[in-house]
Amino acid sequence: MLSLSHISLTIGEHRILSDVSCSVDKGEIVGLIGPNGSGKTTLFNVISGFLAPTHGTVHLRGLDITCSSSSRRAQMGIGRVFQNFGIFREMTLEENVLVALEALPKADRTQRGNLRKIAGETLEMVGLQSHAKQKAGSLSGGQMRLLEIARTLMSGKEVFLLDEPTAGVSPKLTQQVADLILQLKKQGKTILVVEHDLPFISHVCDRVIVMDVGRVALTGKPDEVKKSKELRELYFGADPTT
Amino acid sequence: MNFFLHIIVMIATTVPNVLGFNLLFGRGKIFHFGPLGVSIVAAYGIFLVTIATDSFTLGIAAGLLVVSLASAFFAWLSLRLDADGFGVMSIAVHLGLLAVVLNWSSLTRGALGIPRIPRFVFLDSTLDFALFSTVVAAVWSYILWKIDKGPFGRKLIALSEHEWHAKSLGIDRPQVHLIAFLLAGIGALLSNVLYPQYLYLLHPSDYGFPGFVFFVTVVVAGGPGSVRGCLLSLILLSFLREGLRFIPMAPDILGPLRLILFGLILYIAVYCRRDLLFPKQRTV
Repeated sequence: MLSLSHISLTIGEHRILSDVSCSVDKGEIVGLIGPNGSGKTTLFNVISGFLAPTHGTVHLRGLDITCSSSSRRAQMGIGRVFQNFGIFREMTLEENVLVALEALPKADRTQRGNLRKIAGETLEMVGLQSHAKQKAGSLSGGQMRLLEIARTLMSGKEVFLLDEPTAGVSPKLTQQVADLILQLKKQGKTILVVEHDLPFISHVCDRVIVMDVGRVALTGKPDEVKKSKELRELYFGADPTT
Repeated sequence: MNFFLHIIVMIATTVPNVLGFNLLFGRGKIFHFGPLGVSIVAAYGIFLVTIATDSFTLGIAAGLLVVSLASAFFAWLSLRLDADGFGVMSIAVHLGLLAVVLNWSSLTRGALGIPRIPRFVFLDSTLDFALFSTVVAAVWSYILWKIDKGPFGRKLIALSEHEWHAKSLGIDRPQVHLIAFLLAGIGALLSNVLYPQYLYLLHPSDYGFPGFVFFVTVVVAGGPGSVRGCLLSLILLSFLREGLRFIPMAPDILGPLRLILFGLILYIAVYCRRDLLFPKQRTV
């Protein structure tokens, strides 16, 4: 579904990404973990078209999208939830969902029918329908996160890039986010998720990619990666048991 | 009575231009400081061709063409430069266009302006003018209000609030900017097809920096992005501006006094509305 081939990115004299290659199959949930500064969000920026790689290519459904703009990639089916809150505070909750639906290609919009109805259903899905006409700026952090995820998920994308979706979210809402992600998996959607919460990653992901200093350090099933010596060394330095 | 009709004409002929500027600056948070540059292009484009060909149809068609080109140029600049850079560049373009008009005397008569501007045949009296320009202003206000409340307005807000988030939803920034600038350009065209007709004169002093300060004051005081707020603010500030003419003072004192007064209003309005005025910078 999504494949990255030999992606490198150099900004000034700093090598941010080094020869990153990986792929995500349709319907797979892949966790992207690693210490701060390992290049996870930068890799998301490359996939979603906000940064152009110095070398390498990005393919979506076999199509080379390396030179496509970020909005074009979104229209081709890549959705993203950012690390910070991506809610438009000057708009109401309903408008926040509508704007995502209205940005879809015309054929998709026509196929979906009444967009306001879908916006209502989206808000209902995350229990915010009673706040539909309220400005989004008045929501709590957790509610903003839920609204953002629901908005992205309902916009009919095929591939989702979720950058720390549970950051600043209570344990109860974290479970709700996990349920939303698993619901998408059932619909055959492809998800790449950056997280520091390892139990969350183990719960929702089929596979984990560990990044360190801009390169892929390790890849495998969540349980295997969790037990690996390399992961402990990356997060805590030298393994104290050795 | 005549004074009120005059005020109505002044307000109604300014409405399309100010609302177009509000769409860009107030709603889109695009630091376009050259709306009067587009107005210069519109006014001279329309009336130079109208006078040369004796045809309003050709004049308006020429105006539409040059306004579209000028708007597309400003849109392109807004995409190429960051917000502050575009602000400075748009002032430079406005002043450049003003300098061309002032110095290309063989075509524009320079600082003397172009007198005997022709009028539409059905605009005989000030009352006719007031009625017609009010209808134009009302229709344009309704159209822009609908656009503002619709999908396009939401896309503009999304881009102004957070460009990356908006793009990641699939919002095409170049397309949205181009449409916004073209709409503002059409507003400038409507205002400038009427205003010089009313005065029978096309004068470059109407397109100087004080005019821009008035536009900014109207948008900021009315609530950036709000169509209703801008209309209300335009009405009140126009009454204030025209009412100052009745103060028994020499014109060389009254002119600067008016600028100081509007500068003060702008200062207070910017201070009170600073949260709504500037793009919210966030990192990703």
